[in-house]
Amino acid sequence: MAVVTVQLGQCGNQIGFEVFDALFTDSQCSQGFCSKRENEAYQASCTERFFREENGVPIARAVLVDMEPKVINQMLSKAAQPGRWKYDQHARFCQKQGSGNNWAYGYSVHGPKHAESIMNLIQKEVEKCDSLSGFFIIMSIAGGTGSGLGAFLTQHLQDHYSNALKMNQIIWPYGTGEVIVQNYNSILTLSHLYRSSDALLVHENDAVHKICAKLMSTKQISFRDINQVLAHQLGSVFQPTHSAECSFHYRTNPLGDLMEHLVPHPEFKMLGVRTIPQMSETSLPYSTFTWNGLLKRLRQMLISNAKMDEGIDWQVRPPLPKLPPPGKMCLNREQHFNTSLANLLILRGKDVQNANLEGFRDPALYTSWLGPADAFSAWKTPRAFNRYERSAALVSNGQFFVRPLDAVVGKAWNMFASKAYIHQYTKFGIEEEDFLDSFTLLEQVVASYRNLF
Amino acid sequence: MGRRRRRVDEEASARAGAGARTLLDAIATLSRSLPTGPCPEIFRRAKFDRPEAAPALWELLFRLLAPLLADRAAASLGPGAQARWVKAVLCSHGYPRPALAQLPEDGSQGSRELLLAFSWLLARGPLLEWLLAQTCVKLGDQVPTFECEVLASPGLATPQMDAEGPVDLRCLQWLMGKLRFQWQQLICSQEEQCALLSKIHMYTWGCHSDRNLGHLSVTETEMLRDPEGSQQLLQALEQENAQLEAALEWRRYELVFWQWMDTVLGACPSEDPAVPTFQPSISEHGRGKLELVAQELQALKEELQALQELLRKEVLSRRQAWETQIGGLGHGPEWSAARQALQQAVDRELLALRQAWKQGKGPSLPQGPHRLVKIEAGSAEAQGLPVAEVIRALRSQEASLEAVLCRLQGQCRQELARLAGTVPGLIWILPPGR
Repeated sequence: MAVVTVQLGQCGNQIGFEVFDALFTDSQCSQGFCSKRENEAYQASCTERFFREENGVPIARAVLVDMEPKVINQMLSKAAQPGRWKYDQHARFCQKQGSGNNWAYGYSVHGPKHAESIMNLIQKEVEKCDSLSGFFIIMSIAGGTGSGLGAFLTQHLQDHYSNALKMNQIIWPYGTGEVIVQNYNSILTLSHLYRSSDALLVHENDAVHKICAKLMSTKQISFRDINQVLAHQLGSVFQPTHSAECSFHYRTNPLGDLMEHLVPHPEFKMLGVRTIPQMSETSLPYSTFTWNGLLKRLRQMLISNAKMDEGIDWQVRPPLPKLPPPGKMCLNREQHFNTSLANLLILRGKDVQNANLEGFRDPALYTSWLGPADAFSAWKTPRAFNRYERSAALVSNGQFFVRPLDAVVGKAWNMFASKAYIHQYTKFGIEEEDFLDSFTLLEQVVASYRNLF
Repeated sequence: MGRRRRRVDEEASARAGAGARTLLDAIATLSRSLPTGPCPEIFRRAKFDRPEAAPALWELLFRLLAPLLADRAAASLGPGAQARWVKAVLCSHGYPRPALAQLPEDGSQGSRELLLAFSWLLARGPLLEWLLAQTCVKLGDQVPTFECEVLASPGLATPQMDAEGPVDLRCLQWLMGKLRFQWQQLICSQEEQCALLSKIHMYTWGCHSDRNLGHLSVTETEMLRDPEGSQQLLQALEQENAQLEAALEWRRYELVFWQWMDTVLGACPSEDPAVPTFQPSISEHGRGKLELVAQELQALKEELQALQELLRKEVLSRRQAWETQIGGLGHGPEWSAARQALQQAVDRELLALRQAWKQGKGPSLPQGPHRLVKIEAGSAEAQGLPVAEVIRALRSQEASLEAVLCRLQGQCRQELARLAGTVPGLIWILPPGR
């Protein structure tokens, strides 16, 4: 089943390109550490989902949207390299003028003005799919076009394609961002997406930046480096996996399966991704891993809320069962231990069937009201990903984002209390009432996540 | 030794009465016309309530009552669960013999009761025809028909769940959300199937030897791609053919079988008529409530009787008063003309109502499966059931189901609001989205 990607704004378009490139490169890679037949099935499954063929050339199932033409043109020409994949030249929408980091401008001006043309482009892309599983919408949350227009379009997609799934890949801004109103933009985006999207897959710029610096040993980190790490993480989630334990068929609707496992509850929609191992191409040939070692580290990353495979706090332990939840113990625990609502573990590579997953089936990792039988699932394929002999990705719905979200809401509230910059929003029809609605909703989300135990 | 002697006895009786031979034939044809029918010997043993015949009969009943589930579920369900299923479904169909419900579920005994239950099903309706339609090998693509009836048929009785503590609302919301996603996935895969079906029909246009059809079906295309599969298909068709032949033959012998069944019934110990039919099991939790309801019912009954009495008196007195009042009226020519006009008006209105009702009821689909065939618009051979009609019928069905859903949701919402209102200090915040 196909997934149509909508790339929004500068950030969304740059990441989108890297994601397609990573998916394509991996699926064409001959070093899959598996049989030829397996490799072919894997390739076919990946291609069907993210690409369509036109005269023998894979065309990305994507619609590119930005209000400035520069980035889109760059991406189109980058994708036009011979022997690889391409974007459809007609599946793009751009204008001459951006949103100037004003969410209200993107949402209230660009949105209503251009929604029809953009929806037409999306409709054309959808018509080229035998079956549509859903939309993958890539955008930042702190800017103007991607976030404002993105929130508007997601709402439109919800209205027009109510049976298709919507996953928003959102980029969390740097804590020390340059845009003064980034916290306003973030709460407006998040609250609007919470109403119209099925799942928010969050990547924090700070975390990915650290991965580049520590694990990939990149000296001068560019957006491209960051986006490539991000694309690697997304690829390791969305590349094909077998549909069942002993099956040789690839999963037909991974987006649907993922959502069914992780985000059925309307109040818990925020997903984080952890991958292991992650390293520069030069050190890859000199490293070997065992499933045991990888999974032990990944589990500790999960429970201690470490964003990467370095500097993990090994002191954090799951709480002992039968301890009374209220009281000091609980407070103490809350600060360190990361409770999961649901986890999806994806394993790729050699001997996957031998990997021991018991560590993730520990009831202490989960809430009292959803046991591991419902809260944990694992997908596997013997096909290696991106030349890593063994690799694992963990998509988790849990307390990862309680603190960043709380911080953003707090900062935005402080500005809002002194009415700073509000006029820039009211000028375009976003009233104080809309801000208050956003605060209420997000505070409810923070409280819900905080109360997981 | 014993067995041999019995057989000798049987043969002797077969010689004695020509009927026995036909009885054996009757049971044999019946067994052959059932999918995975047990061997005829099982029936004979069941007459004598032999325990070894019981497992095969439980299995048979399970397959008859759960044909859609049978293949997959039979493997996953143990004999105990199968037996529970059979009991539950028979109960819901109104099977009258309480002895069945008391049978142990381990399949160790009760073959005669099971044989009676089976013949009850057989006598009740067109069981064989229905089964044959269910297991029919489908060569053409089927028009999707209403599946609401299938969904509404009694499901496997869920084990009584008296939750120990209160269930966390979040868990219910989680499960509800899961259901919603599964529903969306189902719709997606249905759409995919339709799209692929349409592709097959287009690519195979003009390939069919039957001019009326114009294109191949999925099964036919599959046969072309995989000739070995056609062997299997042939086998399936032959099997179905044998079943059909057996079913036809069965018609000739049916009477003999029923005569024999009378002797089986006669062999049963007579039942205590005082024993009521099925006692529904009531959980501890429900018992208290039930008593309350019973008391309330009794009180209401008394009240109703009192009211009826009152009403009767009231009507009597009114009627008397009225009759004296109209006294001499109602005989003149004006009166009869007015009455005639009224009568006509009522007739007209009735007719209009009937028509409106007929239209409002919406089109109903003709029964039975239909082969899905693509025909060029305006083609002369166009006959049968146009897709537009099917779609219209499905739409109207959808609309009425949606109305029911809306009504139920409204009721739930009211109930929820009422419950929320009973908790002091509670602020009700609806979850975001949906």
